Amino acid sequence: MKRPHLLAAVFCFILCLLVAVVVHSDYTFQVLFRIFLFAALGLAWNLVGGYTGQLSLGHAAYFGAGAYGLALFNKAGLPIWISLFLAVLLAVLFAGLIGGVSFRLRGPYFALATIAFAEVLRLVAKNLTGITGGDVGVQVPPLFAHAFNRSFYLASVVLTAVAFGLTVWISRSRFGYYLMAIREDEDTALSVGVNAARCKLWALLISAALTALGGGLYGSLFLYIVPDQVISITISNEIAIVAMLGGAGTLVGPLVGSVILETASELFKNLFQEAHLLIYGVLLVVVVLFLPEGIVGTLAQRLRRRAVVAPVVKAEA
Amino acid sequence: MADALYSALQAVLNGLLTGALYALIGMGMALIFGVMRIVNFAHGAFLMLGMYVTYVLFQTPGLNPYFGFLGAGLVLFLLGYGVYWALLKPIRGESDFKQILLTLGLGLILTDGIQLLFGADYHQINMPLLSKNVHLGTQISLNAPWLISFGIALVVGVGLYVLVMHTMLGRAARAIAQNRYAAPLMGINVHRVQALSFGLGVAAAGMAGGLLLPVFYLYPAVGDQFTLKSFVMVVLGGMGSIQGAAVAGLVLGVVESLTSLYWGNQWALAVDFAIFLLVLSLRPSGMFGSQRV
Repeated sequence: MKRPHLLAAVFCFILCLLVAVVVHSDYTFQVLFRIFLFAALGLAWNLVGGYTGQLSLGHAAYFGAGAYGLALFNKAGLPIWISLFLAVLLAVLFAGLIGGVSFRLRGPYFALATIAFAEVLRLVAKNLTGITGGDVGVQVPPLFAHAFNRSFYLASVVLTAVAFGLTVWISRSRFGYYLMAIREDEDTALSVGVNAARCKLWALLISAALTALGGGLYGSLFLYIVPDQVISITISNEIAIVAMLGGAGTLVGPLVGSVILETASELFKNLFQEAHLLIYGVLLVVVVLFLPEGIVGTLAQRLRRRAVVAPVVKAEA
Repeated sequence: MADALYSALQAVLNGLLTGALYALIGMGMALIFGVMRIVNFAHGAFLMLGMYVTYVLFQTPGLNPYFGFLGAGLVLFLLGYGVYWALLKPIRGESDFKQILLTLGLGLILTDGIQLLFGADYHQINMPLLSKNVHLGTQISLNAPWLISFGIALVVGVGLYVLVMHTMLGRAARAIAQNRYAAPLMGINVHRVQALSFGLGVAAAGMAGGLLLPVFYLYPAVGDQFTLKSFVMVVLGGMGSIQGAAVAGLVLGVVESLTSLYWGNQWALAVDFAIFLLVLSLRPSGMFGSQRV
């Protein structure tokens, strides 16, 4: 990222924080929270799904670990912020387990294993009623007591900024280039000495930690969670769609994807009520058939072609 | 002691009856995913559509579901054939990634489209047959609609097996799976064969849906659980093995039934997926497969 880009990013971040001064409606704050939350989750997913090319469709496992971890550790008597920290650790532990099993698998089997793992977690959370409360749900402590909606909005902006900063750093580092090498051709990457297994695992662990923070925020905003809500396939899909729509493996893709998807789903919620997932399906099909690199990826490709310069590494888009 | 034995036997028999329908769903997926390597995340949505087609046929012309499922099969075959040409052919030969996302999107469109049309309410059809039971001895009784669907699934399943293993179409589909480049040189029209096979695989799911209608609640998301289950069957049975998927379907049915008996119904699905993860990590070639995944 060049210096003017960096300045622009910092400027945008400050602008987003300042929005909190202007906005007063709780509804607006909640919509904005969702946009930034899923931008952050999309960025987190992007490390695994975009840069490393491993299609995870089970990120709800980490999201749910964040939300449930926060609720349950707090219920056990631990302070809120320590509970959040432990929840993140729990998600990282799950990521280690999932990665250990499924990174040995390639192609569709990886995606299937991630879904299966998340589903097992959802069912366990549903059925271990003594610990999780099952379908009745469990209370999540509020992370911020003061200026509720505004604080959560600011927290989501900060989380997005952290995820963005991490992505910038990783995409420019040796580690990031290893990840992209694995995506382009795992066997070749192995043959030049990239420890693919370890790189993939690290990418997933970082991604899981960020996702768990997002899950914790989400649960804490709602104050009450049930398994079908926070460990659902819908959450996994939504996270992946945000990143794919904007452009997997691009820096700003998840941000653009989240703005478009969350705005569209908010509009469609009023139109179609429960059937608003329809828009997700339509967007997915359109993206795969007509914008295979996502919105940002396709735009960047067009610009690059026009400029007729040497091919730029995808991450710089 | 004898009672415990009888209840276990009853559970196994019930599991086999359910398993036959699973087998049909799994065989459809084995054709689509195992043989043709199309990662079909819309399989459950197609099954759900089959249920709704049978439901509409039952409601309006009053067609018995045990005939109506054929209509569902026909509709779903045509839909699958069309979906292949319109959506899957353009991305054939590209990454699995795209197929997964495309079929995932298609599944969402079908599920939520049906929800727009029919609403999210649960439906159940009423037939006098539903409460009939067949008694074997004093302890064992089998539910009549399940017995009928078992018989039909057996016939359709054997038909599907013969079609894939012993007809030109099936040979062509398997030839494409073996070598995508050599097959067209042998005069096989790759896309036509794959479109027909995809249609058949989807039709199998649709027919299974039709047969499930009398014994299941009907709602738009009813198919969701079957998508992952059908992948479980294909992997458990071994990639590319139609008969393997059928056996895996029966195994899954029995395992679920026994899980329900001893641990409770709510654990059945979790056990399915746990088996799936175990198979993937310990024996990825499945029970009958020789290919490594």
